[in-house]
Amino acid sequence: MKHITKTYGALVANNSIDLTLQKGEILAVVGENGAGKSTLMKILYGLEAYDSGEILINGESRKFRSPHDAIDSGIGMVQQHFMLFPPFTAAENIVYGHEPKRKGILFNRAEASDKVKELCKRYGMYIDPNVKVADCPVGLQQRIEILKVLYQGVEIIIFDEPSAVLTPQEVKELLKTIKDLKQAGKSIILITHKLSEVMAVADRVMVMRLGQLIKTMPIGETSIEEMSFLMVGHKLETRKIKKIGQGSAVLKVEHLTLAGTGERNTLDDVNLFVRRGEIVGIAGVSGNGQSELIQCLTGILKFQAGSVIINDQDVSNRSVQEIRDSGCACIPEDRYYWGNAAEATLVENAIMSHYKKSNLMRYGIFHKKNTTQFANDCMAEFDVRYSSDKQAIQELSGGNVQKLIVAREISQHSPFLIAAEPTRGIDIGAIDFIHSKLLEKREKGDGILLISSELSEIFALSDRIYVMYEGKIAGEFTRKEATNDKVGLLMMGGTLNG
Amino acid sequence: MDEFKKRKLVDDVASPLIAILAGLLVGAIVMLLTGTDPLHAYGEMFTKSFFKPYYLAETLVRSAPIMLSGVAAAVAWRAGYINLGMQGQMCVGGLVATVMALYLPIDSWWGTVLCFAGGMTAAALFALIPTYLDYKFNASLIITTLMLNYAINHVTNYFVAYPMRDPAGDGMAQQSIQIAKSMRFFRFSNKNAMNSSVFVAVLVVLLMYFVFTKTKFGYESKITGLNKHFAQYGGIKSMKTMFQTMALSGALSGFAACIEIFGVRYRYVNSMFSSTGYAWTGLMAMLIAGYNPLLTLVYSIFLAGLNIGGTALQRTVGVPMQIADIIQCCITLFVSVRILHEFKQMQANKTPARVGGKKGGTT
Amino acid sequence: MNDLYLAAVINTTFRYTTPVLFAALGSLFCTKAAVFNVALEGQLLAASFVAIVANYYTNNAFISLLAGVGAGAFIAWIVAVFQIKWKVRDMVVGTAMNLLVQSVTAFLMQIIFGSRGTVQGFGMVPLTKINPTFLKFSPFLYRMFEDLSTIDYLGYIVAIIIFIYFYKTVSGFHHLSVGISGTAADSLGINSQRIQIRAVVISGILCGFGGVVHAMGNVTVFAENMTSGRGFIAMGAASMAQSHSLVAIASSLFFGTMLSLSKTLQGYINSYFTEAIPYLCTVLAITIYGVIISIQKRRAKKIL
Repeated sequence: MKHITKTYGALVANNSIDLTLQKGEILAVVGENGAGKSTLMKILYGLEAYDSGEILINGESRKFRSPHDAIDSGIGMVQQHFMLFPPFTAAENIVYGHEPKRKGILFNRAEASDKVKELCKRYGMYIDPNVKVADCPVGLQQRIEILKVLYQGVEIIIFDEPSAVLTPQEVKELLKTIKDLKQAGKSIILITHKLSEVMAVADRVMVMRLGQLIKTMPIGETSIEEMSFLMVGHKLETRKIKKIGQGSAVLKVEHLTLAGTGERNTLDDVNLFVRRGEIVGIAGVSGNGQSELIQCLTGILKFQAGSVIINDQDVSNRSVQEIRDSGCACIPEDRYYWGNAAEATLVENAIMSHYKKSNLMRYGIFHKKNTTQFANDCMAEFDVRYSSDKQAIQELSGGNVQKLIVAREISQHSPFLIAAEPTRGIDIGAIDFIHSKLLEKREKGDGILLISSELSEIFALSDRIYVMYEGKIAGEFTRKEATNDKVGLLMMGGTLNG
Repeated sequence: MDEFKKRKLVDDVASPLIAILAGLLVGAIVMLLTGTDPLHAYGEMFTKSFFKPYYLAETLVRSAPIMLSGVAAAVAWRAGYINLGMQGQMCVGGLVATVMALYLPIDSWWGTVLCFAGGMTAAALFALIPTYLDYKFNASLIITTLMLNYAINHVTNYFVAYPMRDPAGDGMAQQSIQIAKSMRFFRFSNKNAMNSSVFVAVLVVLLMYFVFTKTKFGYESKITGLNKHFAQYGGIKSMKTMFQTMALSGALSGFAACIEIFGVRYRYVNSMFSSTGYAWTGLMAMLIAGYNPLLTLVYSIFLAGLNIGGTALQRTVGVPMQIADIIQCCITLFVSVRILHEFKQMQANKTPARVGGKKGGTT
Repeated sequence: MNDLYLAAVINTTFRYTTPVLFAALGSLFCTKAAVFNVALEGQLLAASFVAIVANYYTNNAFISLLAGVGAGAFIAWIVAVFQIKWKVRDMVVGTAMNLLVQSVTAFLMQIIFGSRGTVQGFGMVPLTKINPTFLKFSPFLYRMFEDLSTIDYLGYIVAIIIFIYFYKTVSGFHHLSVGISGTAADSLGINSQRIQIRAVVISGILCGFGGVVHAMGNVTVFAENMTSGRGFIAMGAASMAQSHSLVAIASSLFFGTMLSLSKTLQGYINSYFTEAIPYLCTVLAITIYGVIISIQKRRAKKIL
């Protein structure tokens, strides 16, 4: 790829990027969120058009108008968000788009199944062709995605943040698979911000930052520290956490059980507590009950057994409003699904769950000046960039939307805050800011329950750490006791000995 | 005016105007195909709806039930509840109010107020039936409200065909006897139907504007309509919002029916709300207005004029009056295409770039 | 009540089922591609009207059939352009199109026939009928299947064809995939928009058959708004069948029975109330269906 440039309106996503991939090598493209690596790969895969530059495959210039063209040129992509059809079987998903046919219009499912078995043998990955994708765990789903790409006969494979959704054990398997693919003669581009993976498998690495190419170098000539420095632009200081005393429990969860529809309960006898003045993190791969736990705590889901006590009040199965009134605020895990209404204005989004306060509303009628003032104050304090408080929130960038939501929830000044994936998918500046605000709240003496699939975030902020696996609390650590290995082991269902 | 306000003004005003012009264009094409001169026809239409006192009065009178059912639709649709049953709710409200007017011993203005209350309550309860079925059993509101329209139309027609039928005159008309003179709205002149109920209607619409923009109820129902998960997360009770919104929607439809009966017709007539199509016209006015009650008021008057003009057109030029319906359906379709929005998107992608900008970017 | 009366009722049921079945198949064909088509009513009405107009001018059943089907497809095509290409909200397109077809047909009725109300006679011919003479041995069975048009039989065949299409062909497989996730399909090189547009137009063709048989199947007539909500009843039938074309046969037959009952009970109950029967039954049916689904969901959740 030569001098690839891509802009979205005022934002330059890629500024004259050069990328070279040799046959049979693994090239890592690293950078923080918003660096432009995903955009670059979308251009290579034909999902986006570039403004200027050139793409050459084996020396020939190519134009990709759609993924179809990219695939025809031998490029395949395993995307971060899987493009699978859950009700269909693995074989149906793998051959999708290139189905073997009988008499030209009938779908030859038997032949598809055979072809999948062949692929499995050739590349050493096992999958049952007739299993429904909906029944597969995430690691298996990713394997289906990889087989899909291989079925199309590509030579170049792009992996976009593949380890984001995997347990540490699954990550090890994935890295092995990547190495095997290299052995089989494929050329691989690996997009990631996990530098340990880069060190483990890459031959060369390319660092991007804010839309620019910073440096390309062979793996032998660099280190994690150097890559990190280049990614961020300055030395990252590890944040110092102030030691403060913990108070009484502001959240107590006892024997919480939520029924499931399969062979096990969605939440099974969960016991945990959060004290005033501490941040408690829940580590675990997404999908092990964390979402449901949050929904039970906030009153959105009704659970069958157990109790939830917030701020010394029993709020088990109470309404959402009653739980909020008892002193619980929540930064939701999906800012678009739960956290805002896209077409509503910034003011309307900012006042949610504040608006019943007497200075904002009287006898059911809003005080326009006060509400506008409140929203503007929130956004100023939390560095939200916007043009007008009357614009629709969907015009803001993801980072600013998240900052507004964090502003709204922290401004509740509640003794207890749930922070779910508070920095998912936003740029490093915003992440830093939000972390400092969370720690500020902790120092004020409030309790925070932090749920994140980003282990580094859990380790950076938490005083204590729980690990969730398959709806149960698998283990508990203090900051001193916790190590990456121990936590990682519990996250994938293992047990500690001794 | 800041950049943002300017942009919004253009969007809110220009889009409907373009749609109206496009709708009128389609109407013109249809007229040409039937051998009529569109310019002459439109001239007739607009003079005979806005520019002569008699017709202007007719237009304003007709716009009253239309704007009310438009706002009734807005209340529900805005909150994400697709109420298609305004017509049926009008039938129920109208019939109950008429029954009360005919059989209650009170004859004065207080009687009218009571009848309105009764009609609105009946219509609200009628609207709550499909609401309950959707809430509890997931029976699609769209289908149930529409089905009940058809069903209740037949049932209310039965009442004026048999038990409540007015034997006066030749007895052919299926309608109730007239309500007492003391219960009717004040009529300004004998020459047209203009009466005080029109002002009441306008007041109610203005009140609803206030409710939408400044009250807790308006805020909660708006957010529920934009993202119901966000609403739930924020503590808004979905059941309360759903029932309150649908009840209000039904009540407003009932109010519209009462206005028509106590202000204009003075009786319940067979198919009076299905043949005139107030509910559907009101719905379209609301859609063109983007759920805004003030704009709904404006477009209701416009569509009412279109209808009155269309009827006049049939008499003078011979074009069937459905031409008005055709035009208003086209306007509704065109206004939703958001032509300007698409155009703006294309412009936005051409502005010069700033490196590392943070405003309005990607994820 | 003698035997033949029951057979006659069943015969009427078959007749009333056909338009509902075709429209229901149209509805689920769209739903399977994640398109919510609210304009079925308009598609049916347009087909009925154009078929009668063609019949008036040509007195030929086959040409009328083609014209009606074409009209249904044309209306559906407009719906597709607005809803899928220009992304107008489904409720708005559907409601506006239904009202538009209502007003255009009423308008044209005045212009062409100079009358309001109904259009009948004029030497218009009905559809070809099939009389199963091999069933003559049983008067009951013969009466049941007497005088049904070819299109009445076609409905069931089409339901089977749709079933085979979805579960055996590659094209049907892609269609289902678009219904599951349009974004995934697009990213994998399948044009989801094209499939959705095609689905809507095919629903128009199906409604075309439904509208033609509604106007020409028994008595050849057009009346203003003659479809009277059948498009929406069909939506109810499709959703109760969970968008499965074979099950839709059963649910459509149920609604066909309700529609025919409303006619046959006119002798015993006041006609104003019998007219309301099909609509109330639709409401009842989808409610009961909802009750069953919620009971199923509750049973599936248990603590272990």
